[in-house]
Amino acid sequence: MHRRLPLGLTILAAIGAAFVVLPVVALVVRAPWGNLADSLSGVGATTALRLSIVVSLSATALSLAVGVPLALVLARGDFPGRSVLRAMVILPIVLPPVVGGVGLLAALGRSGIVGRWLHEGLGIQLTFTTWGAIIAATFVSMPLVILATEAGLRSLDPRYELAATSLGASQLTAMRRVVLPMLTPQIVAGAVLCWARALGEFGATITFAGNLEGRTQTLPLAVYQARQTDPGGAVFLSLILVVISIVVLVSMANHLTRAG
Amino acid sequence: MKRLFPLLLALTLLSGACSSDDGGGAAGSSTASAAPTELTVFAASSLTAAFEDAIGPAFEAANPGVRVTFNVGASDTLAGQIQSEGTADVFASASGTWMDAVERDPGVQDRTDFVQNRLVIITPPDNPAGIQSIDDLATPGVQLVLAAEGVPVGDYGREALKNAGISKDALANVVSNEEDNASVVAKITADEADAAIVYESDVSAAAGNDVTAIEIPEAINVVATYPIAVVDGAPNADAAADFVAYVVASDGQATLKEYGFEPIA
Repeated sequence: MHRRLPLGLTILAAIGAAFVVLPVVALVVRAPWGNLADSLSGVGATTALRLSIVVSLSATALSLAVGVPLALVLARGDFPGRSVLRAMVILPIVLPPVVGGVGLLAALGRSGIVGRWLHEGLGIQLTFTTWGAIIAATFVSMPLVILATEAGLRSLDPRYELAATSLGASQLTAMRRVVLPMLTPQIVAGAVLCWARALGEFGATITFAGNLEGRTQTLPLAVYQARQTDPGGAVFLSLILVVISIVVLVSMANHLTRAG
Repeated sequence: MKRLFPLLLALTLLSGACSSDDGGGAAGSSTASAAPTELTVFAASSLTAAFEDAIGPAFEAANPGVRVTFNVGASDTLAGQIQSEGTADVFASASGTWMDAVERDPGVQDRTDFVQNRLVIITPPDNPAGIQSIDDLATPGVQLVLAAEGVPVGDYGREALKNAGISKDALANVVSNEEDNASVVAKITADEADAAIVYESDVSAAAGNDVTAIEIPEAINVVATYPIAVVDGAPNADAAADFVAYVVASDGQATLKEYGFEPIA
């Protein structure tokens, strides 16, 4: 079915597409392919990649562990301030990440309101550690798990839960055995987006966790540091992130088509 | 549930876009409505307080119709921006190395060394690690913050550690390589690390940083010499030359002295 689209629409769409595609194409064109091996070893790509995978997967696991229960409470709970809490927990999506980093320092830094107690009482310091990078990534990416889970819950017919509880299941059992299995596609979708966002995290990480190779220097930080001293290496590191992101989005689209 | 996908995607990308908003402020963020001349000065981040709070306003007062905008950051970053984008009128670098780079490409005029700066160790006000001298930076467990290699103060700091003969142990204590001098100072004022190596100018009263300073002995200290110049292709070359002249003349030099720099022009 080929219908001719208005020319003006096509032109604007082409501009929109070029705007997004061009920077990615430029990375491929500008990459000094001739000395790929040198560039990648020079900027510590494998160290940064390994750390990025550890940090982003840990952040996703943490987000699922507390984000899914939080979404369940937000969607099914009935308590004062629920809408305010809901707005607060998804705030990191629109907050500039560097602001998140400053907030994390004020809260969990070694002289932060909670961090002081962790540091002096338990000898735990999160800043400048891989845990700090994980915390920063979790802060910015967990809202994606919450939103996906909650949206799924809202569209789920509450009669499934009612049926389960009227047949004698406790509310917890109903959630665990009936609701969660039905929400799996949405939770998986949220987890994938959460992971992709955690992988790309920069601002909160460099502000809260600092920048040290092998400990807190994830791929985006390595790109940032390499861009002056080794622009070619920075381009290659960027391409690694581009390829990962494209793979995630493509697999994601397939997954959602099947789920929908 | 297909409807969820575009929404989440949009939100993800939106937040991703915000994640790169760290790099030293954008040039030309003026709000003036009818300013005829918009002078853009690229300055090493250690010059931020002196240039933005004192020299900029004084220069504008002396030159009606000129508005100065500062783009501050690490000198290596600024040199890269000048070479790729070429929108700078004036470049003030914390090291000759990066001015050399800009002098080669695209070229400079009126290059003058205008101040010197020395290194100092800073700690949070209560000095939690009990740092007394540069040698203490090698004590295991001390959390040391430096600027990244390539950033002038990062290279100078590593040189001082080498001069003190403690490179290996002190570098093992580094917990973060920061993107510019201001970020290093911020880690100490936030009480997040035990010590850092920055400039004398950062501990001047005018800079107003709440830190404790520990001197580095003359014999192992490193002198940073700051060059300033008009960048070839400057959109406002005349005003740029005026700005350089102002900085190297007595008024500018007195202001810089107040901010802890050593005038040499």
